[in-house]
This record gives sequence, C-alpha cells and structure tokens, in this order.
Amino acid sequence: MFGARWSDFTPAQRAHTRRVLWLLLIYVIVLPPLVWMRANTAVAGYIPALMGIAASLPVLGIFASWGRYLSDERDEYHQTLTLRRNAIATNATMGAAVVWGFLQAFGAMPLVEAYWVPFVWVVIQGMFGCAGAFARGSKEG
Amino acid sequence: MENRLRLLRAERSWSQQDLAEKLEVSRQSVNAIETGKYDPSLPLAFRIAELFNLAIEEIFVSPASRSSGAI
Repeated sequence: MFGARWSDFTPAQRAHTRRVLWLLLIYVIVLPPLVWMRANTAVAGYIPALMGIAASLPVLGIFASWGRYLSDERDEYHQTLTLRRNAIATNATMGAAVVWGFLQAFGAMPLVEAYWVPFVWVVIQGMFGCAGAFARGSKEG
Repeated sequence: MENRLRLLRAERSWSQQDLAEKLEVSRQSVNAIETGKYDPSLPLAFRIAELFNLAIEEIFVSPASRSSGAI
C-alpha cells in the first residue's frame, strides 16, 4: 500500500511540506483578486508589474523552500532521492520547453505563458515523488 | 551493494525503526540500505560499523570482490 505517512517524514520534509502548504494557501488567496483586477479594472503604469510580482512571490517562495529543504535535510537517502527527482524534473522540463519553443517558433504550437514551465517542473517532480513513495510502500508492505 | 545489515539487526532483535533511531536516519534509509537499493556514504557506513563493532567490510560486500569470487 501507499507508504507515505506523516510519521515517516523527516523533520526537514515536515517543515518543507508545512511551508509549501502555507505558500499555496497564500497563492490561492492572492491570485484570484489580481486576475480579477487585471480583467476588470484599468491598471496602468507600474501597477501591472507589481501585480505580476505579487502573483509570483508565493511560487518563488516554494522554490526557496526546496533549497532550504535540501540544506536542512540530514537524511542522506532522502536528500539523494530529492536531488535525483529534481534533476529528472529539470531535464524533462527544460527538454519540453526547448521542443515547445521551437514548435512555437515554426508555427506548429500556440504561445504558452512562461509560468507554465515551473508548473510542469513541479508536476513532474511530484509524479516521481509519488511513484517512488508508492513503490517503496509496496515493497515494504 | 549487498550487505549483512538485516541479519545483524535481526540478531539483536532490532526493528528497522530501532536501528534508524540509533543511526539517526530515517526508517526508509535503513530499508533502502538493507535491500541494496541505496549505498550509504562512507561516514554513515562507519557509523553502522561502529554500532555493530565490526569492520565495514564485515558488513558490506565489495562488488569487485564478489564478482571476482574473493568472498
């Protein structure tokens, strides 16, 4: 069965998970009003730039949390797994971004907003994390 | 890398969690080392050896010596 229980998390993983959940909560709270303002009000000057930065700050926080996690993790096995997952996700995302970029340049694919790149990175990373946790849980029973 | 960690742990009636706490690592780390899915760093290998009062090579089987039939 799926073996990822909260008690199995290392202290660094628990701290990282808490940080990410708080940042996601902030993101969910902050984004809708910004999107609404952009669509329904006449924002001009430096305001759109500030809105864009405000929307990206929680996501930047998540990436900072990854860095903090890798620094805080004292369990070398988990640290190795995370580094491997990050490397796979980075290579896959960069590869996809390059292919999509050229397809877009040659008119074969539509324009995609750049903020989808980190989203894809997080999804790939999460998929490998879940697959690994599931595999470990199955083998440990 | 093959090792005798599971056997040594069983001789002392320790659970994976017991051993993990003594080594200050996670239970998943102990499981991964026992099953040969993860090779510990040299500092962790020394901690394991010191815990069991054995030399590292008495716990971990060198892949080179195993393939050459030395052990």
